[in-house]
Amino acid sequence: MAEQGGGLEGSQPVDLSKHPSGIVPTLQNIVSTVNLDCKLDLKQIALQARNAEYNPKRFAAVIMRIREPKTTALIFASGKMVCTGAKSEQQSKLAARKYARIIQKLGFPAKFKDFKIQNIVGSCDVKFPIRLEGLAYSHGAFSSVSYFSFSTQFCGLILSLLVQYEPELFPGLIYRMKQPKIVLLIFVSGKIVITGAKVRDETYTAFENIYPVLTEFRKVQQWYVIS
Amino acid sequence: MSCTSCGSNSLTREDTTGELVCTSCGVLQKFDNYDAQVFGRDGPTGTYIHVGSSGRGSVLNYQDKKIYESHKLIDDVASKLDLTGQPSVEIRNMIDRITNGEFGLGDWFPILIGACGYVVMRNANRPLPLAEIASVLNCDVFELGRMISRVVRFLNLKLPEVDIVIMFERVIRSSNMPQLSELENEKLGRMREQGVFLLNCAVKWFLSTGRRPMPVVVAVLLFVAELNGVGLRIEDVATETHCVVSTCRKRYSELLEALVKVAQALPWGKDVNVKNILKNAIYVMSYMEMKSKEKRREVREGLSCGGVDLGDVVSECLKKDIEHEISGDGVESDTRYFEVEDGSGSAMRVPGEGDKIQLSHDCLNMIYTNFSNEIDGERLSGEHGEVLGRKRSAVYDLQTCSEWWNGKSEFSKKLLLKKILEKDVGLDIMPPSFVKGCMENQRRRAKINSAKVRIGKIMHPSRADAGDNHIAGVSECERSRKSRKKKRVDEIDWEDLIIETLLLHQVKEEEIEKGHYNTLLDLYVYNSGVM
Repeated sequence: MAEQGGGLEGSQPVDLSKHPSGIVPTLQNIVSTVNLDCKLDLKQIALQARNAEYNPKRFAAVIMRIREPKTTALIFASGKMVCTGAKSEQQSKLAARKYARIIQKLGFPAKFKDFKIQNIVGSCDVKFPIRLEGLAYSHGAFSSVSYFSFSTQFCGLILSLLVQYEPELFPGLIYRMKQPKIVLLIFVSGKIVITGAKVRDETYTAFENIYPVLTEFRKVQQWYVIS
Repeated sequence: MSCTSCGSNSLTREDTTGELVCTSCGVLQKFDNYDAQVFGRDGPTGTYIHVGSSGRGSVLNYQDKKIYESHKLIDDVASKLDLTGQPSVEIRNMIDRITNGEFGLGDWFPILIGACGYVVMRNANRPLPLAEIASVLNCDVFELGRMISRVVRFLNLKLPEVDIVIMFERVIRSSNMPQLSELENEKLGRMREQGVFLLNCAVKWFLSTGRRPMPVVVAVLLFVAELNGVGLRIEDVATETHCVVSTCRKRYSELLEALVKVAQALPWGKDVNVKNILKNAIYVMSYMEMKSKEKRREVREGLSCGGVDLGDVVSECLKKDIEHEISGDGVESDTRYFEVEDGSGSAMRVPGEGDKIQLSHDCLNMIYTNFSNEIDGERLSGEHGEVLGRKRSAVYDLQTCSEWWNGKSEFSKKLLLKKILEKDVGLDIMPPSFVKGCMENQRRRAKINSAKVRIGKIMHPSRADAGDNHIAGVSECERSRKSRKKKRVDEIDWEDLIIETLLLHQVKEEEIEKGHYNTLLDLYVYNSGVM
């Protein structure tokens, strides 16, 4: 049964050459886009499809949901579509195809062009608490080796910080990794959220990169047994 | 130029409107008040018509007015934030740099002022709480936070860390609460030292990691205030520091729980709970202070040269508890302390009693030896006669406090994180969120095990006896949880069913233990059609 799935690796032992930490981040959300390559009448879609909601005052797209794979799509009048909520790349593509099929059945000449995974969100638990202050303090120095990026707000060069830990604003430490270009949210409980990847391997690489850093700031080994 | 009506040359310009008037006939001349201005990339272009008093000859135009108004706003906000003088000048310079000398007047401008104020103060290592600035500006904390990060990025600054100790000192120093501002300096200083000590402990115990600092500060302030007999209400302090009351309460109870854990090292540790920790706080803190002065791994040596008279600490402790018992609100099994008093030293080995007292640390052994050797009943009552035991919300005598607290520990000062972590205060605990995560995992593990047993029973009814052993183990586990939680239902709930489904779909147990049920269901169960 499990052999059908896209998330096959879950039922196999962890490949230590790929995941030296022994921890495989779980993918929680995949966002993909596709071009249906035809103009759409959103009002008509909203009226004909049962699983669609459309409120042009609030948002200029039809929001459509399907049960399997459990996903949500935003369908724009231009024919562009965003599909969110899938747990694997294959699921995301399958869901996008299903939406395209629904649109076709509603009488639009929808195609399936330029399917692309835009973001992959993963999470995992390193099973030890992390001294966020220490991590922020030691990696604060990295901010001087920051990279340049353009901002529309302040026309000019802006330096971006690699590590941001502001407990007054957000309980986690925000780590902006340069290579691969991934953002990690690190929490004191040892839970990590990894976002910004376009391919699954970037998520894994980012985690394997950060894991040795985290072990430096761990409190104790493995599980803390509660009496 | 001559008058259009009488031809006279005696034209003058009126001060307020800037219009030309003939002095001989009084006729208002044709409007000539145009000021050619070109606004482009490099400055003004086009024709600009001045209105009212801002006519030709007047120095005020929009730009000057904007800058003037914005300067006024900066001063206004700065004074509200109590940042007059040098900080205010720095804020102005910073905004000047950011806006290229343009300043501004929109709704965003006060937020920029607040953000610059925050950055200036934090750079000067005197951080202001974000909530305070946000309440002065009447804006959202996160809006302010976004502006701060933009300012920091734009100016490419590296802000020093938020130091919780400095925040505490600021609250205790510049508090508007009469209870604090009217205190004498000596007492306030002691409260400050104790507060810093506890804050360092809180940092060590992960009570402040990933949490807003101010509620932790409030919790510690409340605790030291109660310890020193200063009546503060949590609601007042929370309002004063712009914190949410419930968060402060939560931090306060977390602090108490941590202190109770420390208290377990004391001989009567088992009797200490969150309700009576305040009474025992002085001993707990003396113990922690003493421990913090030792070096790790050198407990014994540290003890022999420690500055605290251990005998004194213990004798004082014992005396205190006796009096609690006398006043009728001591903890249940205080009788053992009576025996200590009666027997003066030798009673420490009253048959049966000695066994009950568990020494959880080497040093307590030492304390006891010290105590039994040196203790003298008369000395006890003579020297510590003024120690007062009061009712539950006991107001501790100033004299008592000064005796037990010497503030010599390094922990009573601002310390670097590394130092804090190196020191031992008799307790190392895990962050609450981590502990909660572990407990959740254990709970899920138990559920997985029981689900496996249920599946096994249905799949292999013949192997009933093998399963029975297992069931016994599981039910025992469930029973123990039942007694802990006191409201455990034996029925199978939705979670059990999901776990069973996942197990039947051969999902790895470690994956299930993580608890991402929806993801796993999507990946393994509702996965038809994916090739």
